[in-house]
Amino acid sequence: MSLLKINDLKCHYLTDISTVKAVDGISFEIEEGEILGIVGESGSGKTTVALGIMGLLPENAAISGEILYRDELISSLPESGMDRFRWKDIAIVFQNGLEVMNPVLKVGVQVTEPMIRHLEISPGKARSKCADLFRTVGLDPKWMDLYPHQLSGGMRQRVLLAMALSCEPKLLILDEVTSALDAFTRKEIRDLLVDLQKEKGYTMLMISHDITFVSSVASRIAVMYSGKVVESGPVRDILVSPRHPYTRGLVHSTPDIFVYKDLWGIPGDVPAGEEFKGCPFRPRCTQKIDICNKASPVLMPVGGGREIACHRGGIAGLLEARNLSFSYRLPDGEYLQAVDNVNLEVREGEVLAVVGQTGSGKSTLAHILANVIRPEYGEVLFMDGNVSGGNYGNRVNGIQIVFQDPFSSTSNRFTVLDAVKEPLYINKIGSNGDRLQMVKNALELVRLPNTDNFLSKYCGELSGGQRQRVALARAMVMEPKLLIADEITSALDVSTSANVLRLLKGLQNRRGFAMIYISHDLSLTLKIADRIAVMNSGKIVETGNSHDVMLSPYDEYTKRLVGSRIGLCCHNH
Amino acid sequence: MGEDRNSFIFRLLLTLFVILAINFFLPRMMPGDPFSTTSADEVGEEIIVMTEEQRLYYMNYYGLDRPLHEQFLVYMKNLMTGDLGRSIYYKMPVSDVIMLHLPWTMLIVVGATVISTVSGVVLGTFSAKNRKKGSDRIMMTGLIAFAEIPSFLLGLILLLVFSVYLRLFPLAGAITPFADYNGPAEQAWDILYHAFLPVVTLSLSQLTGVYLLTRNTLITVITKDYIRTARAKGLGEKTVWNRHALRNALLPVVTRTGFMIGIMMGGVVLVESVFSYPGIGMTLRSAVVGRDYPLIQGILLVIAVSILICNLLVDKIYGKLDPRVVI
Repeated sequence: MSLLKINDLKCHYLTDISTVKAVDGISFEIEEGEILGIVGESGSGKTTVALGIMGLLPENAAISGEILYRDELISSLPESGMDRFRWKDIAIVFQNGLEVMNPVLKVGVQVTEPMIRHLEISPGKARSKCADLFRTVGLDPKWMDLYPHQLSGGMRQRVLLAMALSCEPKLLILDEVTSALDAFTRKEIRDLLVDLQKEKGYTMLMISHDITFVSSVASRIAVMYSGKVVESGPVRDILVSPRHPYTRGLVHSTPDIFVYKDLWGIPGDVPAGEEFKGCPFRPRCTQKIDICNKASPVLMPVGGGREIACHRGGIAGLLEARNLSFSYRLPDGEYLQAVDNVNLEVREGEVLAVVGQTGSGKSTLAHILANVIRPEYGEVLFMDGNVSGGNYGNRVNGIQIVFQDPFSSTSNRFTVLDAVKEPLYINKIGSNGDRLQMVKNALELVRLPNTDNFLSKYCGELSGGQRQRVALARAMVMEPKLLIADEITSALDVSTSANVLRLLKGLQNRRGFAMIYISHDLSLTLKIADRIAVMNSGKIVETGNSHDVMLSPYDEYTKRLVGSRIGLCCHNH
Repeated sequence: MGEDRNSFIFRLLLTLFVILAINFFLPRMMPGDPFSTTSADEVGEEIIVMTEEQRLYYMNYYGLDRPLHEQFLVYMKNLMTGDLGRSIYYKMPVSDVIMLHLPWTMLIVVGATVISTVSGVVLGTFSAKNRKKGSDRIMMTGLIAFAEIPSFLLGLILLLVFSVYLRLFPLAGAITPFADYNGPAEQAWDILYHAFLPVVTLSLSQLTGVYLLTRNTLITVITKDYIRTARAKGLGEKTVWNRHALRNALLPVVTRTGFMIGIMMGGVVLVESVFSYPGIGMTLRSAVVGRDYPLIQGILLVIAVSILICNLLVDKIYGKLDPRVVI
C-alpha cells in the first residue's frame, strides 16, 4: 500500500478572463519511506500539487481527480475534515519568505502551536519539545523568543523545518526549501534531510526547480512541465540519460552537472496554460512531428521503472554510423587507416564533439558523415535512411557541413550573395526572389549585414571571421537538421573564434538542430558540447557526457588529452 | 536613541506652541468681545447690556485693552505656572470649569470609542468571513449609507424617537436633577441612562470607519502566506481567524482609534449640544458665544493635549503589538 496516491489530479485556476491549467492530469504514488522529487521550471505547477495535497488551494481553483492518503480519499474533504490529517500525518515545509510565518507571533509559539493542538500536550512540554526540535535543525533554542523578521533567511528555513517536524508527520512535503539559500546553508539543509530520512525514515515529497538538490536526496524524480509529468524514473538514470527533450534541457542547463559548459537555457517559455492542443512542450521541442500538434502525449512506461510522455518515445536518434572504415593510399603503396570501424550516434538537438589530435581521422569521419566521401565499409543512417542513397546534403532539413578553412571553402571571386545562394541554386530551391530573401535571412542569423552593398561584396574582400560566417550562412540557408562543423574556428584568432563559437552555439540552441563539432581543442569543446567522443588513430576510444569525460576519463589516451592542456603559470597539470 | 528622543520632545513642544498660538489668536479674531454680547444662549436668560464705560472698565480689568502680543506673553507666562486664567462668564478659574465638565465628555468619548471599536471589529470580521455573500453586501451597503448621516442629525433623530415619542430616555442632562440616590449602583445607573443616547450617536458616527477598516484589512491579511501556513498546520478556522488573521488586521485599527478620539472631540461639541449634555463640548459652545477668551483657550488646549496624548499612546501600543516596529 502506498502512503500517498494521486490519480489524474487536475487543478485549474479560474480567473475572470481565462482558465489557467496549473496541474493538468498527473498521477503518481509515494511508497512509505521513499523520497520522491518533483522538478520543473517555475510555473510548471509543482507548488500547486503540494497545495492540492494539503487542501490549501485558493477558492478559485477547480480540482478534479483523487488524492488518497493510506487509501483514504482526502481530496474532497472539507476544512475541518482535512485538519485531521494536517501536520500530524502530512506536513509541509513552505518556501522561505518574509511572510510565510506570522509576523506578530514569536517563532517558538508558532512551532509549539500545532503540537499543543494535535498532540494534546501542555504548553510547557511543547516548549521543551520545541527546544529539542531547534537543536535538531541546528538552531540555538534561545532563538525561540524572536520574531520571524529578526531571523536570517537560513534560520527561518530551519524554523519552518522544525515546525513541519513538530508533530512527526508520516509524509513531509518540501516546497522549494533551498531556493533562497546560499550554498553552505543549502548543503547543511540537504545533509539534515538525509540524516532525518535515515534516522526516522520520513517519507518525503520534495518539490524544487533545483535538480541538483533534489537528485542528491531523492530516490525517484518526476519532471513536470506545464502541469503534466513528462518523465519519471530513478534519479541516477534520469540524470545520466534523460529521455525527454525537456528533461535533457533541464539537466543541460544545470551548472552543477555541466561544470564546464556555458549556460544555455531552454529557449522559449512555458505556454501560459490557455487552451492548448497537443503536446505542451511542442513550441520548444526540436523534434516535433505532426501528431505533436494534435494530441497531448500520455505518460507511458518504458521499462526500468521509467515513464515518459512523448509521441516520439523520447529523444529520437538522428544519425547513426555503423562500422565505418576508410583508408588512404600513401605514395609508397602503404595504406593509412584514417577511420577504423567507427560507430557513432547523434540524437536530436544534441551537440556531439569529436575530439582528437591532428591526424586522428576526425575530418575524414566528418566528410564521410556529410556524404562528401564514401566509406569503404559500413553505413551512415540519417533519420533512418541511408545517407549515400538519400543524399541528405542537397535537401532542406538535411545535413550541412562547414569546413575548417573559410579561405578555400568560399571562392574569392564569388560575391557574398552568390556564395550563400549557391546551394539553393544548385538544388533548385525556390524562385530567384525567394532565394534573395532566404540569403538575407541566413545572413541575419549569423549576424552579418544583409544590405545590398554587403551582398555584392566579393568574398576576397572579407576578413577571416566574416568569411567563416558566410560559410556558416551558406549552411544555414539549407536549414539543416544536423550541422557538421569541422574545426571551424582553428583558422581564426582567439577573439574571433570565441565570437563565431558563441554565435554557432546560440544558433544551435535557438533553432534546435543537432551538431557534430569537430575540434582538437578540448577546452573549447567543453564550452559547448553535451557529449564528447574522443578519437585516436581512426578509432573512437571513449564517448560520454562532456563532464564525465573531462572529470573522470577512463581511456589512457583521453587521460593524456585532458592532461595535455597547457595551464597558465598558476595552474599545474 | 538619545538624539531621537530629543528631537521627539522638540517636535512635541513645537506642535504645542503652534496650537497655543492658534488657540490664543483665533478667538480674538472673531468679531465682538466678552462684554458686548447681545444674544442670550438660552431662552429666558437675562441680557445685560453694558454701557460703554462699564465695558471699558471690564476690558481694562481683564487686561484685554493691552496690545495682543503683551496679552500673549502674559498668557504664556501664566500657563508655565499652570494658571489657565479666569473664566469671564463663570467668574471662576478656567481649570475649575474644565474639571467640572471634562469627566462627562470623557465618559461619552471613551464609551463611544470602546463601543464603536468593538462592534466595528466584530461586524468587520463577520463581513470578511462572509465576503461576497449576501450578508456581507447588505451590511456594507447599509453601514456606508448610514455613515453619510451627520452625527448631529442622527442625534436629533434619536432624541426625537427615543426621548420625545417613546419617552425611553431623558431629553437633557447627565444626571437626574436633585436626585437622591440609594447607593452608588443607582447613581451609576442614572449616569449610564443619561449618557446612553449621546454615546450611541457618537459610536454610530465612527462605527462604519472601524468596520470598513477591519473588513478590508482582514480580506488582505487572509490571503497572506502566514495564513496559509496556519491553515496547513490544521489549527482550525477559529484559531486561524482569531489568532493569526485578526491580530495582524487589528494593527491599523489601533492606529485609527487614536485618530478617532481626535475626530470625536470635534463631533462631541455638536452631539453634546443636541443632547444638552454638560461636557466640555457644550461649555465650549457657550464660551464661544460669550467670547469667553480664557475659557475657549483652556478647552481647546485640553482637547489638543488629549489628542496628542492619544497619538502618543497609540504609538506605544502599536510598538507592543507589532514587533517589527521599533520605538
